[in-house]
Amino acid sequence: MRPYFEKMPNFGRALKEGQIKRSLENVDLVKKTESEIAEAVEKVKNAGFPTEKINARGQMTVWQRLEYLVDPGTWCPLHTLFNPMDNEIGTTNVFDGIGKISGKWAVIIGFDNKYIAGAWIPGQSENILRATDLSKRLNVPLVWLVNCSGVKLDEQEKFYANRRGSGTTFFRHAELELSGIPVLAGIYGTNPAGGGYQGISPAILFAHKDCNIAVGGGGILSGMSPKGHFDEEGAEQLIAAAKKFKVEPPGSAKIHYDETGFFRYVFDEEKGVLDGLKEFMKDMPAYNPKFFRVAEPKEPTFSSDDIYRLIPMNQKQVYSFDDVLARLVDGSEQMEFRPDYGPEVYTGLCKVDGYLVGCIGNRQGFLAKGYPEYADYSGFGGKLYRQGLVKMNEFVTLCGRDRVPIIWFQDTSGIDVGDIAEKAELLGLGQSLIYSIQQTDVPMMLFVLRKGTAAAHYIMGGPTANRHNAFTLGTAATEIYVMHGETAAVATYSRRLVKEKETGKPLDPVIESMNKLAKQYHDNSRPIYCARYGLVDEVVPMNEMRKYMAAFAGAAYQNPRSICPQHQMLLPRSIKG
Amino acid sequence: MAEKILAPLAGKVFKVLVSVGEKVEADDETIIIEAMKMETPVYAPCSGTVKEVKIKEGDTVEEDDVLAVIE
Repeated sequence: MRPYFEKMPNFGRALKEGQIKRSLENVDLVKKTESEIAEAVEKVKNAGFPTEKINARGQMTVWQRLEYLVDPGTWCPLHTLFNPMDNEIGTTNVFDGIGKISGKWAVIIGFDNKYIAGAWIPGQSENILRATDLSKRLNVPLVWLVNCSGVKLDEQEKFYANRRGSGTTFFRHAELELSGIPVLAGIYGTNPAGGGYQGISPAILFAHKDCNIAVGGGGILSGMSPKGHFDEEGAEQLIAAAKKFKVEPPGSAKIHYDETGFFRYVFDEEKGVLDGLKEFMKDMPAYNPKFFRVAEPKEPTFSSDDIYRLIPMNQKQVYSFDDVLARLVDGSEQMEFRPDYGPEVYTGLCKVDGYLVGCIGNRQGFLAKGYPEYADYSGFGGKLYRQGLVKMNEFVTLCGRDRVPIIWFQDTSGIDVGDIAEKAELLGLGQSLIYSIQQTDVPMMLFVLRKGTAAAHYIMGGPTANRHNAFTLGTAATEIYVMHGETAAVATYSRRLVKEKETGKPLDPVIESMNKLAKQYHDNSRPIYCARYGLVDEVVPMNEMRKYMAAFAGAAYQNPRSICPQHQMLLPRSIKG
Repeated sequence: MAEKILAPLAGKVFKVLVSVGEKVEADDETIIIEAMKMETPVYAPCSGTVKEVKIKEGDTVEEDDVLAVIE
């Protein structure tokens, strides 16, 4: 298939002088937002004890462990600002991402041992489930840096139990292992109860000499107070008992290496544990990249820094999606699928790091006259119409058949509405796209370049695609909401305005409520909000988007569960005609 | 030879980016029309010099109205 893929048609245009001049303010706005995000990231990384204090105890921090473990330049953090239960420290007390270890892609996750010795806290189980799901979707190893003191006792009601609570992790580990996905764990520190299961549930355990894993902690002196409450007498008894209580925590390396043999390896040094993981990762199942690459990797012709000038922060301004994509894919080359149909959507084959990916994105701005063909009004990019929906359905289905991973790019204000649109079957075609996605078995990722709105956010490979969406990334320009805040204010208050007017009441209170609602929508759709509540899995700088795409493609092609021989692919033939 | 810049859609003139006598390249943004809450740029159909600008900011235009002329 070399004639198809080695040199595909070029696309994208160089920036014009006027464009460079006009976009100066936009560059500043994007960079200002990116620096606010970077500041928030730095803050959560420094949560808990300072690094020096942890190092003085002879331990490395989770960040130092990650840095030592992961191949330089490959770390793509995810969920750094994820904090859906509003913990004071600003995180869920685990950090994760994808990166290479000894040249192999893995999902890597570690407890932050700087805060309550890596305790379970609210929101953490949801973060961990995202990491286990990612490992399953990409079919790559899950590597744990376990250092977990167990439940933060004064908040246990928020996460200990429940369908997606802290214990669900252990079922997910079993699920991964049943699917043939290795789960490796480097184990440090004291890991009682929940921490013990964090340690025992992976497949191969690499232990530090001072660590332990156990069903329960040794520090729990007795059960309930016999009086049913605590008083001074009881407190004195506890003090006396605690002073005498000097037992080593159960489940030490001596027990679990010498007696049970649960620990496959024990290391004297912290770095030794990581070296052990690195050594093991060399042998993890992975195809040589040449098995799947369709061409030699090459950089895009245009600089990714141009994206700062191309994607306007002003949501009313339009831009060329094709020009953005040309700055993200190998050689700025592509093969567009049905270019003469459904102009509001780009669908096409591109290469990332030499691997074939399907790209789908919303085009922006005024569409050709007479489009959409079923209506007497003009169509605008960002909206979805009949042809665009049909085209995406076809493209996704063909990508599924040809086993080509899909990268979605959203900047959408929704699907066309009204009776004319209903007659054009848009509701049915939207759900058809959901069906088309669900019946594929290829990994997908999503960038919400700017707007993720209405049902279009669902059907264009959004995180609601769940088992199919490996991860969703935001940019500084991302806004996610069911509709724009001003539209929501009109929908909520227009009848009330009419009523107040008819009864002669002042309109000011209603207007104030409308402005309040619009502002609430604005505040609760910003990139940091989206990252905090998991609407995106990370917000990434515009010039690092390609790095995540390369990590996604590399991981998706590392060890896929099924393959389509390149010379048996249908999509490139369908494009060629 | 003169070439007309036509309004691709009905709307309000939001910004006029060129003035008479200015040189433009094909595909340069010349005028921005606001419609359907979006700012739609109108591009120069060819390279040349702006001979005439027939509208000003705030004007309402209909589809296919002549906005400017390039020579």
